Amino acid sequence: MSEPLLEVRNVCKAFGMGGLLARYRFAAVNDVSFTIEQDRHEIFTIIGESGSGKTTLARMILNLVPMTSGSIRFRGTDLATIRRPADRLAFMGHVQPIFQNPFEAFNPLKRVDRYLFTTARRFTDARSTGEVESRADLALRKVGLSLAEVKQRFPHELSGGQLQRVAVARSLISEPSLIVADEPVSMVDASIRMSIVNLFKTLRDDLNVSIIYITHDLATAYYISDRIMIMKKGEVVESGPARTVLADPQHPYSILLRNSVLSPDAKGELLEPQFSTTERDLAGTR
Amino acid sequence: MTAIASPAPGDVIAKPQREPVLVVSDLRAYYQTHYFGIVREVRAVDDISLHINPDEIYGLAGESSCGKTTLIKTIAGAIQPPLNVVGGSVRFNFGGAPLDVYASTPQARNAIRWRHLSYIMQGSMSVLNPVRRVRQSFIDFAFRHIGQPMPQFIDTIVAHLERLHLQANVLDAYPHELSGGMRQRVTIALATVCRPEFIIADEPTTALDVVVQKGVLAMIRGIQREIGSSMLFVTHDLAVHANLTDRLGIMYAGRIVEEGPTAEIFRAPKHPYTANLIHSLPRIGDTAPKKGLDGVPPNLAEPPPGCRFHPRCPLAMDICRRENPAMEPSGPGRRVACFAVTRGEPS
Repeated sequence: MSEPLLEVRNVCKAFGMGGLLARYRFAAVNDVSFTIEQDRHEIFTIIGESGSGKTTLARMILNLVPMTSGSIRFRGTDLATIRRPADRLAFMGHVQPIFQNPFEAFNPLKRVDRYLFTTARRFTDARSTGEVESRADLALRKVGLSLAEVKQRFPHELSGGQLQRVAVARSLISEPSLIVADEPVSMVDASIRMSIVNLFKTLRDDLNVSIIYITHDLATAYYISDRIMIMKKGEVVESGPARTVLADPQHPYSILLRNSVLSPDAKGELLEPQFSTTERDLAGTR
Repeated sequence: MTAIASPAPGDVIAKPQREPVLVVSDLRAYYQTHYFGIVREVRAVDDISLHINPDEIYGLAGESSCGKTTLIKTIAGAIQPPLNVVGGSVRFNFGGAPLDVYASTPQARNAIRWRHLSYIMQGSMSVLNPVRRVRQSFIDFAFRHIGQPMPQFIDTIVAHLERLHLQANVLDAYPHELSGGMRQRVTIALATVCRPEFIIADEPTTALDVVVQKGVLAMIRGIQREIGSSMLFVTHDLAVHANLTDRLGIMYAGRIVEEGPTAEIFRAPKHPYTANLIHSLPRIGDTAPKKGLDGVPPNLAEPPPGCRFHPRCPLAMDICRRENPAMEPSGPGRRVACFAVTRGEPS
């Protein structure tokens, strides 16, 4: 198969902002292109500060918001042509999301296992309760949990790390070929962060899933990603193999980002603040 | 404030190390509920002792739900039922005027707040009142503590904002008009405008980007050095601790398990939990596989017997399942609560 798995070409997304008279267009994502190949399973990382458009890009890849211009093709199919519910369902089975805060992704009033069962009913051919449960259990075992641990539990009864694992397990039920993970570890504790990050590595190596990993944490990005793309204000400023880019960034913004990472080996010395160059006076005055 | 026990000049020379600003001894604070005859007790702060010296940043690290925030609340004296202090004491010493938080009157506690003891809070969006201008927030927080007429008070604030590289026009802005980093700097300015001796910072940079975070941390450090206050800095991000704090306490399940100078802890962690935390930190330029910690943090309502870390501990011994290790000195300035360290390696 020569079709790329995901082809993002010149994608733009603009939001209209302001009132009736002082209306202007704000480009959240501006001319972004990248490709993920079909047979090379990789972790593709998108890095950027808040407001750099990385979440908007993720939502467009998940076909949750329409793009303003450009095209996204998944296995050759343009996402804009996916209109019928059946096509949408098939697409959702192939591309699954993982969200930032597991405590917000799960409804606190509903049991966690319900999400697994509904996903299994919708995306697999399992119909009886026993089949659905075995699908859920299979997915949970891939992330190091079992159905016995999460059955009948509410989100508050599980720790953040467990809940994020359940979220990963839920996305695996439909056996996707692409997972879009939007800041999956930024709300998780340091001690659990690495086990989630290692889980992504396992998914890539053992289950042949490609992962789009969106983050602002350069250290974990360096640790797991194969390729990396740095975004600033909706535009790609630098992209390439992760190790090369992060070891020797070229663009001034990438260098600033790289230098801002707090090294755990520091000796308690911080540099002078550099607000004058990175921030405007009032965010309201564009 | 009158000095009750000001030390004689001879004393100061004999004791170059000044009195600690904060001494917490054997503090226990439990959430206790009695509903329908069922008594439930969550031991969020269990037997914690620590002291913080003048002009020192003391870091507190630990995962969520290990009791960090409860400890801060208890130290600040800002607790209400079901959280109760069961035992121990919190004593402040501001310029020779000692104050035992739980043995003094509410009036005495109120008198130290913000003037001597202030607080940098976590979510700057929810701390600042969204329908009041920043100027009003400053008046609400600090006007009665500074005791100047309004024009001079505003001048004081503007001068103080300048230290944090903020211009006077932020006073007329609403919180939503400011970026996240600026809002966080406003809350830092609020907490430091009275030049307090003791500042509690609860995850002040967790919600910020890396670029902004570094600047805000540098400012926190700069202003702390300038006004010479002590600081209790809480975050679960160990990289922040490595860059900012002088001494570090690692908290696990309601207890402090290791304490010492930050650089020493990073160089040679002793407690297995600390060692795992530090060895699992990802670093740019290092691709060696890192292992996260397996297992689940304990439920503080029914903590495991003995050492609370033993179900996840690679060095667990028999004694760990039965007895709770006490904090024991281990090397200069360091304390650790682990049988495997204080009684030698397991055979």
